[in-house]
Formats: sequence, structure tokens, C-alpha cells
Amino acid sequence: MIEVKNISKDFVSPKKYPGLKGAVKGLFSNEKVVKTAVDDISFSIRKGEIVGYIGSNGAGKSTTIKMMTGILTPTKGTCRVAGINPNQNRKENAKNIGVVFGQRTQLWWDLPLGESFTILKEIYDVPAEDFSARMDFLNDVLELQDFIDRPVRTLSLGQRMRADLGAALLHNPKVLYLDEPTIGLDLVVKDNIRRAIKQINEKYQTTVILTTHDIGDIEELCSRIIIIDEGKLIYDGSLANLKDTYGNKRKISMEIRQPWKLKELHLEETFGVGEDGCSTEFIEETNSFCVTFDKHRIQVPQVLSAVMEVTEVKDVQIQETELAQIVKEIYNHGTAEGR
Amino acid sequence: MGRLLKIYMPFASNELKRQLAYRGAFYLFIITSLFSSFISYYLWMAVYGSSGQGVLGGLTQNEMVVYIFMVYVTSSIVTVSLSTWVSDDVVQGTVAMNLIKPIDYRLSLIAKALGRVSFQFLAPAVFVWIGLEIYKVTVLDMAPVSVMGVVLYLFSSGMSFLLFVLFDFCFGMIAFFTTYIFGLRMVKEALLGFLTGQLIPISFFPEAVQRVFGFLPFSSMIYTPVMIYLGKYTGRTLAFMLLRQGIWVLALYGLGSLIWKMVTKRLVVLGG
Ligand SMILES: Nc1ncnc2c1ncn2[C@@H]1O[C@H](COP(=O)(O)OP(=O)(O)O)[C@@H](O)[C@H]1O
Ligand SMILES: [Mg+2]
Repeated sequence: MIEVKNISKDFVSPKKYPGLKGAVKGLFSNEKVVKTAVDDISFSIRKGEIVGYIGSNGAGKSTTIKMMTGILTPTKGTCRVAGINPNQNRKENAKNIGVVFGQRTQLWWDLPLGESFTILKEIYDVPAEDFSARMDFLNDVLELQDFIDRPVRTLSLGQRMRADLGAALLHNPKVLYLDEPTIGLDLVVKDNIRRAIKQINEKYQTTVILTTHDIGDIEELCSRIIIIDEGKLIYDGSLANLKDTYGNKRKISMEIRQPWKLKELHLEETFGVGEDGCSTEFIEETNSFCVTFDKHRIQVPQVLSAVMEVTEVKDVQIQETELAQIVKEIYNHGTAEGR
Repeated sequence: MGRLLKIYMPFASNELKRQLAYRGAFYLFIITSLFSSFISYYLWMAVYGSSGQGVLGGLTQNEMVVYIFMVYVTSSIVTVSLSTWVSDDVVQGTVAMNLIKPIDYRLSLIAKALGRVSFQFLAPAVFVWIGLEIYKVTVLDMAPVSVMGVVLYLFSSGMSFLLFVLFDFCFGMIAFFTTYIFGLRMVKEALLGFLTGQLIPISFFPEAVQRVFGFLPFSSMIYTPVMIYLGKYTGRTLAFMLLRQGIWVLALYGLGSLIWKMVTKRLVVLGG
């Protein structure tokens, strides 16, 4: 459905100098700064997939999405969406896609929501019976009827986001791009939006690309994730795979009575593993001793008994590594192996 | 054609509705703009009075009255600041929102402009127009305008509208290259005051200057329909004037398409 080949985007902007003197200097200098927002990225996405496209702020996610929607021309490389080059055929491509940019709306600010939908019906040439069927469906999952008569500018953020998602889905697009669709929403609305995405995907086999900072979105919706950092692709693979590779760590925090006795403890030697198999940390303020270890090589009771041999333990907490942490680790690490 | 109307008419009716909702601000604008027409009226009356001549620049004093107020009516039908919408869309990043839809950005703006102009025509241009006709017949002792005159005038004004919005679209494209379009817009408005004949009828200028103005599209925007209304053009001159408007519409349409293609190629959507 989507083929992205060696796509890059450079932003060229005039060089800025600090201060007033700098502003004057800027007027006369011709120096340019080139920012490579997306750097040689390739991937392909099959029909019906829901792909999480993640990365830290400024990683280049929105830039990639804009190139795939045809509103930004790539500096290098090509992409095809449903067989169409979005850049050369913007209007053709626009019929196949639905887009939600969480930060702004595609609805008409002053019009009642219902009227926006009527305009969209004309723009996308949706047949009358499809229109009413789809409106029913959207009302069902997004509960739009509560505010369908209100001008868009009076809607709350959560209502607006549901309305925007509805607007993006009205013409039953083949591909749905969602750029931070859950940003700033409360849990109930988030849940609502996720449910809608899931149902649309199941019902119509809609291909979905989703950027988000909310790991919950990813865990609930995406079977596959693509991670980019500073414009470069660093992971492309299944969520399960990522968890397998990076999620094999466990962490135990123990509140202990005799911290000075920790010197007698040499866990690495005891278990016969290296630095990456087991690491420790002591936090003085809370008297807690943390052990992070590979759950395939060491068992929790082994750690507990080893520690309890040297000191008395008051409290124990066991944590599984969360996806958020894995992602953070990958960002810090640089690259990860996919698949 | 039917589908085009169906798609773009909502943009027009939306703008009309919006204007009706915010009409307070618009009444203020009406008062200030009519005010300048009256200043211009008193100025010209003084000029005619002190010159001691009956005809200046090819217009009698009474025709000058008609000229001044028909300029007001015509600019209500013709001028709408489309470039402001473009620059707002660029600055706020809403161009992107227009580009993700399978619609023509320029057509949607023109439809919106049509909505705006309909409002300007209804409140209050049409009343000024009717008032002028009554004044003409009762006070100035002139013959009322003929039906044919009205038809020709409205047709020519329609062309002027297209000419103006197509031109202002091209002008608005500057917003994609510099954020300082506001200052340029002031310059544009000052220049247009002269070039369209809004401030001084073009027939007042020396022959050579008139010729230059004739080569520019601007005199076709306001001067031409007003002169048609005054019945100054007949037969072949009239046909030539209408043809010239038509050619400018086509030329500016082509130019706008070209610039738009260029702009979207190097489009950098701000924000997001
Ligand atoms: N119009 C632009 N001009 C210059 N730099 C830009 C422009 N748009 C984005 N960038 C830069 O490109 C990088 C990627 O931006 P973006 O794709 O918006 O990141 P993300 O959506 O992942 O947070 C950022 O460093 C941003 O500053
Ligand atoms: Mg972004």
C-alpha cells in the first residue's frame, strides 16, 4: 500500500545570528543552514497494517507524513501511496487518504460541525447512501451527535479531535495518517479514539500510520513499529520482537536494613554473568538497593536469597521493563536491529 | 459544472454567513469607506467650481458625481483582499489543511471571495447605487441608466471581479517567500488607487500615461466598468474593452497556475 524509498528532506533556512547586531548581519549575509529532517528512510507497509511511527520530538515524523500526503516535496527519494506518487498527483492521492494532525483542524472553524461534513461529502463525492451509513457508524464509535450542531470553534479539544477523526474517515480512505491524534486528551477520549481506529481498521482494512508519544496507543493498536531518530530509521519490526530484544530485563528494588554490608555482595560473580547480565545501584535516601538483570539467565528468587544472605530486607518491588523505557533506551543507544 | 458548484458553493455561502455574523465590524468599514467617497465628492466639486470649465478630463460635473459613487459601488463588487487570506493561511499553516483535500485551493478562495462580495454588494452598495440613480434623476436632471447599461455594467464588473481576485491570488503568493507581505500590501493598495482609476479618472492623465495604464490590467478592474456605466464606450470601443478584460482574466489565470505550481514544488509548510 505504501512504498517509501530512500526518502530524504532537507530544510534550508537562512543562518540566524544572535542579538540585534546579529539580525542586521543576517540581512546582509547569504549563509544558509541545512537541516536534514529526514535522512534516507525506506519502508513499505501492507494493506491493513497499523504502524506506529515513533521518535522523540524533532525526529522527523511529521515531515515524513507530510511527504507521504503530498504537501511536502522530498529532497531525494520517492514514495508511492496506493500506486500514486503523492507529490506529482496531489489531488488524486488526496482522495485515497485521510489525515489528522493533532495540532490543528481540517474542519471549518466557523461552521457547525454537521455542515463541515456536508461539504466534505461533496468534496470527496461520497454517494448519499454511503454518507448516511458512514455517519451512523461514526456517530456510533465517536459519539458525534452530541455536538454536531455546534460551530467547530466552540468544541472542546476532545470533541474536536473526534470530529477531526470522523472527517478524515468520512470518505473511507485507503490510508489514514494520524499525527499525534491523542495529544492532550483525557483517558476516556483516548480510549474512544483508539477504539474507533481499531474498528475502522477491522471493518475496512484501512492502513493506518500513527505517530504518538503515548506508549499506550502503540501497545493497544500497533503490531508493527518504526522508530526514527534524528531523521534516521533505527528500528522497523514487530512490537513483540522489540520487547523480546529489549524487554528481557527485570528490576528488583529492595529496601534494606544494613547497607554497609552490601560490600560483601558480588552478584556478578555469584551468578557468573557479566555487566550486561546484571547491574546494581544503591539509592541512599531511601536505602533501596536496585538490581537489574536478564530474566532469562537469572531468576528472581536467586537474587532475593543472595541479597538476604548479607542483609535484612524490609520491602521488595519487582518491575518488568516497560515499552516506554525500551524506547528511551533505543533513543539513547542509537540503532537497534530490526526483525 | 454542477459538481464544481456543489463543491465550491459552500465556501461562498459560508463566507456570506460569517459576514452576517460579524456585521458590526463591517458597518464601521462601510461608514469609513463612504466617508472617503464624500471627501472625494467635495474635492471634485471644488475643482470643477474653481476651474470655470464645464468639462474636465472628458467628464461633466454631473458625470463626475456618478463616477465617484459608481467607483464606490464597483469596488464593493470587485475588491476583496484574497491575498490576506493566503498570507493568513501560510502564517497559520492552514494551507497544509487545504492541500490534504482533493480541492483546488485557488477556486476555494475565489468562491469565498464571491461570498464576501455578495455581502458587500447587498450591504450597502446596492442601496448607494439606487440612491445615486434617484439623485441623478431628481436633482441632477439626468436620464436614468438603461437596462442595457445595467446589464453591460454588471457583466463588466463580473469580469473585473475575476480579474481582481486572480491578480490578488498571484500577489498573495508572495506570502510563501516572505513573511513581510503586510507592508507590501500597503504599497499595493496605494498604487492600485491610482492605477485602477479609483482616485482620479484615468482620462485626467496625459495621453502617454493613459497609454501605459491601458497596457496594465488595473484600469480594467474599476475604470472600465464605471466608464461603461457612464455610457462612454459604445460599439467597437465597448467590444474592445470587454475583450481586453477577458484577455486579462485568461492571462492572470495562467500566471496564477504557473506560480502555484512553482510554489507547491518548494512549499515549506510552517509549523506542525
Ligand atoms: N519548515 C521547516 N523549516 C526548517 N526546519 C524544519 C521545518 N519543519 C521542520 N523542521 C525541522 O525538522 C526536524 C523534524 O521536524 P518534525 O518532522 O516536525 O519532527 P517530529 O514531528 O518528529 O517532532 C526538526 O528539527 C524541525 O526543527
Ligand atoms: Mg510532529
